[in-house]
Amino acid sequence: MAGSFNLWLFAVSMAASALGGMLGMASGIFIVPILTIFGHVEIDTAVGASLVSVIACSCGGAAPFLKNRLTNIRLAIVLETATTTGALTGVVLAGIVPVSYLYLLFAVILFLSAHQMLARRRSPVLASAPAPACNWSDALELDSGYHDWELGREVTYRVHRVALGMVLMYGAGLISALLGIGSGVLKIPAMDTAMRLPIKVSSATSNFMIGVTAAASAAVYFIRGTIVTEVAGPVAFGSVLGAIVGARILLIVPNDKFRLLFIAVLVVLGIQMLLIVFGVHLSEVLR
Amino acid sequence: MNRAGWLEELLAAFLRYGSWSASAAIGLGYALALIGSHAPSWNPPVLFNMRIVRVGIALFILLPILRVLLMLLVFIRERDFRFAFIAGTVLAIILLGIFLGVPGT
Repeated sequence: MAGSFNLWLFAVSMAASALGGMLGMASGIFIVPILTIFGHVEIDTAVGASLVSVIACSCGGAAPFLKNRLTNIRLAIVLETATTTGALTGVVLAGIVPVSYLYLLFAVILFLSAHQMLARRRSPVLASAPAPACNWSDALELDSGYHDWELGREVTYRVHRVALGMVLMYGAGLISALLGIGSGVLKIPAMDTAMRLPIKVSSATSNFMIGVTAAASAAVYFIRGTIVTEVAGPVAFGSVLGAIVGARILLIVPNDKFRLLFIAVLVVLGIQMLLIVFGVHLSEVLR
Repeated sequence: MNRAGWLEELLAAFLRYGSWSASAAIGLGYALALIGSHAPSWNPPVLFNMRIVRVGIALFILLPILRVLLMLLVFIRERDFRFAFIAGTVLAIILLGIFLGVPGT
């Protein structure tokens, strides 16, 4: 019994991390509902395990992205100041803002993001497009380039509107800390639409950043003893393997197909959030 | 470009070997548990196996934090003090978050 449950946790985490790692939103957003609904795991235990899974997914998938220069590490550390500050604000504000409004806000953001990302489909790689200078990007030397396997050449890109990106990252960190949901799903649309990064750079950079925010929360859970070894162990193990698979897929998948897959996931998650909103209201009515 | 490439290689190696070490600890814990359940003559206490798994989980949680610390040290060494300050800020916020989070319920 225990053995088969371990195997199930391992398999589920591997699949979730392959998808989440590839999309750059990590696995937490898939793992919590699966563990609670199908695995009958307590919500706290599921969140603790998912935090470990997010870290395993972020670290396990990082190497191939870094080696292919898809991850913009200078931009990542700059944006991490905003996401971690947002998460910290969320920790302080937790319990003050009604959660159902936040889910509604989250759903609206997801649908808007899906729309925006769909609109940017026509310009997948802004290779040599002369761009208006961004003061922050120049000052911090954030512009970079990577080798695109699909196009078979180097792609150089500029980082646009860093200040707007920072504000959106702060918001992403804040909302995700308040809801206990991974912020990758909000980070990528922000990088894509505000900062105009190539889609795979957004995904890889988000995947790199996600581990840091999750580690701060996971450390708190670990010290409090909310991380259950028997659940988190197989989940972490599966997540590392899944992340490696996901990273390999991202490197070879075409940009426009990847964008469409991401938009589809945004819409599905948005609908799921809306259901939670109505579920919350239903339970209040029933009470 | 070369300098940035060097840091990327370093971070890739750090995160790869870090993930492998943490996974190895978790795998070892479960391997010992599995052997223990099939060999009645050799049976280490279950808590011991789970403690190794727990070390692996702790290692995973430490990895991203150590990654920021590593970036901080590299930026200081490269005399890139702006980015050293940025990395130091991120590290401080993470530690403050842990400090504020632990006493809460």
